[in-house]
Amino acid sequence: MGSAVAAPSVNQETKKKKYPYYIEKPLEEGRVQKFLEIFAAFLRHSNYKPLLEIYSRASTKCSRCANTCQIYQATGDPKDIPCYRSNILLDIYRRHFTIGGWLRGRILGDPGLQEETIDEMLDTFYHCTGCRRCSLECPMGIDHGLMMRLTRNILSEMDIIPKALLVSVREQLEGKTANTSAIPAPAMMDTCEFLEEELEELTGHPIKFPIDQENVEYVFFPAVSDYLLEPDTLMGNAAVLYAAGDQDNWTIGSQYFDGINYGLFYNDAILGRIVEKEIAETRRLKGKKILIGECGHASRSAKAFAPTFNDGEEIPVISIQEYTLNAIEQGKIELDPDAIGETVTYHDPCNIARSGWLVEQPRKILKSFVKNFVEMEPHGKANYCCGGGGGTVSVDEVYDYRMKVSGKIKADQIRATGAEIVVAPCANCKKQLKELVEFYKIPATVVGLHDLILRALRLPPIDKSSEENNEQKSQEEQILEGSGTHA
Amino acid sequence: MPDLYELARGPLFRLSFLIMALGLLRLFLLSLFGIVQMVRRARDKNNSYGKILLTTASWMLPVHRLHRHIPLISFSSFLFHAGVIVVPLFLLDHIYLWQASIGIAWPGISRSVADVLTLLTLITGTLLLGFRIFSRSIRQNSGFVDYFLLIVLLLIFATGYIASRPYNPIPYQTVMLIHLLSAEVFLVLTPFTKIAHCILFPLIRLTSELAWKFPPDAGRNVTIQVHGEVKSI
Repeated sequence: MGSAVAAPSVNQETKKKKYPYYIEKPLEEGRVQKFLEIFAAFLRHSNYKPLLEIYSRASTKCSRCANTCQIYQATGDPKDIPCYRSNILLDIYRRHFTIGGWLRGRILGDPGLQEETIDEMLDTFYHCTGCRRCSLECPMGIDHGLMMRLTRNILSEMDIIPKALLVSVREQLEGKTANTSAIPAPAMMDTCEFLEEELEELTGHPIKFPIDQENVEYVFFPAVSDYLLEPDTLMGNAAVLYAAGDQDNWTIGSQYFDGINYGLFYNDAILGRIVEKEIAETRRLKGKKILIGECGHASRSAKAFAPTFNDGEEIPVISIQEYTLNAIEQGKIELDPDAIGETVTYHDPCNIARSGWLVEQPRKILKSFVKNFVEMEPHGKANYCCGGGGGTVSVDEVYDYRMKVSGKIKADQIRATGAEIVVAPCANCKKQLKELVEFYKIPATVVGLHDLILRALRLPPIDKSSEENNEQKSQEEQILEGSGTHA
Repeated sequence: MPDLYELARGPLFRLSFLIMALGLLRLFLLSLFGIVQMVRRARDKNNSYGKILLTTASWMLPVHRLHRHIPLISFSSFLFHAGVIVVPLFLLDHIYLWQASIGIAWPGISRSVADVLTLLTLITGTLLLGFRIFSRSIRQNSGFVDYFLLIVLLLIFATGYIASRPYNPIPYQTVMLIHLLSAEVFLVLTPFTKIAHCILFPLIRLTSELAWKFPPDAGRNVTIQVHGEVKSI
């Protein structure tokens, strides 16, 4: 009996040691063989082979990237040096897929890939938040983000992937609700109705969240978690669209309404399937453009990969921030410069700044109405990651790691600005930053960009008395007309 | 000894140079072929080649970037590379040798400029070796080859410098022999080690950018090959 009780705890201990995150299936035997088989399949079908060829020959291990990586700066562990980490995969490539490496292995008696290396990889490749800050400073131009993705991709085909990500994606692609937060469409619509009431109370205007409107300009895909966690952001989005005169020109699709794409962090096939769903829903509604809400990786995955996974007519992808800036510049919306008195700083989500195209746009928006705007140092493309990138923010069991290791520099950076409000136009970043300011007791509030815009948005007053007069007049006219007929 | 010296000066040098040249040419062509294949397989062919080339060029002369991370390493590395490229190609003594073997000559640098560059290379190379040994992040990321190649390179420059002095304590031929042999080892290793970045450098950043343009069916095909079907998640 005693041994039967003790056995599971030993098992759990081993599991805990090997995996920093929960996985769904237990460890399989013969993982080395499986890893190499999948690696070979990637070399055959994907574009990674020429990349690995050139990386494995040209990586000079200068370690300049070590100084840019916020994880290595916090841990000092060599496995967290981006170049060292990439070389774990490159060594497997050299040893098992090149003649030189094979010969060298035979001569030096190197047995090649071992189970321990796989354990090392599944730990260290999920330390990386995929921020690609290292790619800015590699003199050679090596992109460690690609090596991280490829390794995670191989591991995920072996069913080694954080359970949190797997379960979300399963619901999104194969579940009934078709989104990562498992929100049924009727519940989403209820939320929208509730937000419409809130907006009416707040502004007096009939701001709508149009559902399933066809032939509109914009089909809207926010990070679906916004419906649960960030109602102010969504209200800001809808209010801007209303104020700019596009109330009847945008819609939310009831069959697919999630912008989140965890495939960007770990799997090419899943990345493609999710982008295809966004395209299909836009086509179903005969929409002209995909409009992505405030979310870094949702914006990047749609913008950068729609041309790859769209086999039909081109559908442009724009971010709500581009839309809003355009509306401000065209004078369609007006923001009150006195509405925000606090000091405001801006966090650049990696996926839209460093790996994307939105650096100046959000700043232009903020500077157009915020009086006390301060920059973080460094900022823009060189800004630090929130510490929850690469899907790690959704993995609850790595909370301690996100707070104490990956998010530490970010916390220092925010504190140094002295800002009262941190603007982060990204669902992932916001969750991580909110947890960070709480953990480090920083006196700052984390909000989305459109949360702030909602506070400052000036809508023309609705003249209720004139409306009533009009109603009264028309009633009188009807009576008069009626009496005239009788006469 | 004189026989060995003649061997090192003549056939061995030509052989090692040939191995280097052909090896690097092969690498360059293979990489170019790989790049063409990447573009062909990707559906999204909208690449900003001009921008990528500009970034690559700006990293070739990264003057405005040197101060950003540990400037001492960056400046050392930049001067080191300058010396390693200029001295072997433009020292007059080397140009005479080129002329003798392949019949082409080009303008060279004066002895004093070469001396300054050689000394700079030796100093900065020693500094880089020091960083490899004493800086934690670089040491953690270094293996035998990283030290070996740097030491061989320092040996080439040190012996070259000593050999060109009018008075030196070691016999000229011995110094030259070490100079030649170490240079030949380096040439032979060039295409097979990280030194290959000397030819691959212009293509690396381009390859990185192109790698983000996936073939649309790659992921799906991998899943089918591995699992026999597109399995449920």
